[in-house]
Amino acid sequence: MSSGEPAAVSIPIHDHHGKAPATSSAVPAAAAAAAPAAAPAVAPRKVGIPFFRRGDHHRGSRCLAFLDFILRIAAFGPALAAAISTGTSDETLSVFTEFYQFRARFDDFPAFLFFLVANAIVAGYLVLSLPFSAVLVIRPQTIGLRLLLLVCDMIMAAMLTAAASAAAAIVDLAHNGNLRANWVAICMQFHGFCQRTSGSVVASFLTVVILMFLVILAACSIRKR
Amino acid sequence: MTKDGSVMEHGEISSKAPLVAPVAAGVNRAVAVVDTFLRFIAIIGTIGSAIAMGTTNETLPFFTQFIQFEAKYSDLPSFTFFVAANAVVCTYLVLSIPLSIVHILRPRARYSRLFLVFFDTAMLALLTAGASAAAAIVYLAHKGNVRANWFSICQQFDSFCERISGSLIGSFAAMVLLVVLITLSAFALARRH
Repeated sequence: MSSGEPAAVSIPIHDHHGKAPATSSAVPAAAAAAAPAAAPAVAPRKVGIPFFRRGDHHRGSRCLAFLDFILRIAAFGPALAAAISTGTSDETLSVFTEFYQFRARFDDFPAFLFFLVANAIVAGYLVLSLPFSAVLVIRPQTIGLRLLLLVCDMIMAAMLTAAASAAAAIVDLAHNGNLRANWVAICMQFHGFCQRTSGSVVASFLTVVILMFLVILAACSIRKR
Repeated sequence: MTKDGSVMEHGEISSKAPLVAPVAAGVNRAVAVVDTFLRFIAIIGTIGSAIAMGTTNETLPFFTQFIQFEAKYSDLPSFTFFVAANAVVCTYLVLSIPLSIVHILRPRARYSRLFLVFFDTAMLALLTAGASAAAAIVYLAHKGNVRANWFSICQQFDSFCERISGSLIGSFAAMVLLVVLITLSAFALARRH
């Protein structure tokens, strides 16, 4: 090399990654080259870049994962409310005969028992899957976790649909009765019990809709990658 | 130049890239074949359930002066919904068979798989709703409810009861198959092409 600048020709010229060889022959140029050389050294480390900025390659996936997280929190509310509302439904009529007290509770109907248990399970599942969803926001490229969440969400949605529609069938029977089978509509007498269970069925169906949307969202973000 | 900087000769075959693509397409193709097969079975299940429930009609041999004791599926709204839901899901499955066959021929299709996942999920929800509403009423028909004074009608209408209980099986089997179908489609979407 030239002997005119002894302190400047210390940068090695390695052409591994196709970068332009750094040949700085003056000290100010070396100092100026040190700053942009530091920035490309930081950029390949993904931890340094904050979320949702322009340099984030996974911005779309991160947005979907964040939406997934928010929807899980939103679905937890109605599921828990439906479970609690059904569990505390207990109405005793003020009329009674010598032998019999008229009373309605959720465990008189096996469908409501199944409904309560299914809502409790789904509410617990939604809470337990929140950390996994948070991990997906931080690391959007884990596809296996997304697939697992999709399958579990779908199974929970199917179970909750089954429980909600069984309870809805019983609620419909309680409201309208059935002439042919000679089943009397009990809502005429048990007002509060009827209102409670009807409301919790509606809340449960809302959770079902959110869970189905979560499944679609997971499938979209798997495709997007 | 390849990624690690080593220069390759012109006639040299890279050991990794060309083998992965046919294997991945082969797995996706197998998934699509299983998908089509399961759809056929689900069609049989749903149509069997719809027909079994829809042709229920039992008339008891005794009658009073004013009323003839008769039981049909349309006497209970849950059963009407069950028949309707099974019919809709069966129609959807028949219409989705061509799309499934397209996936066998083109294993790398992604948008159409997503389309199929979306509608499969909707049909799963509909079928589950219909099947479990009917199951709740069938349970009530078998056991009755002491507290609400609902009498179990199975004690009188034997063959009607057997029919409606048996028609639930095909519907629940189709539900399980739909769950498997959605899982398969999601798995095929997640594979790296």
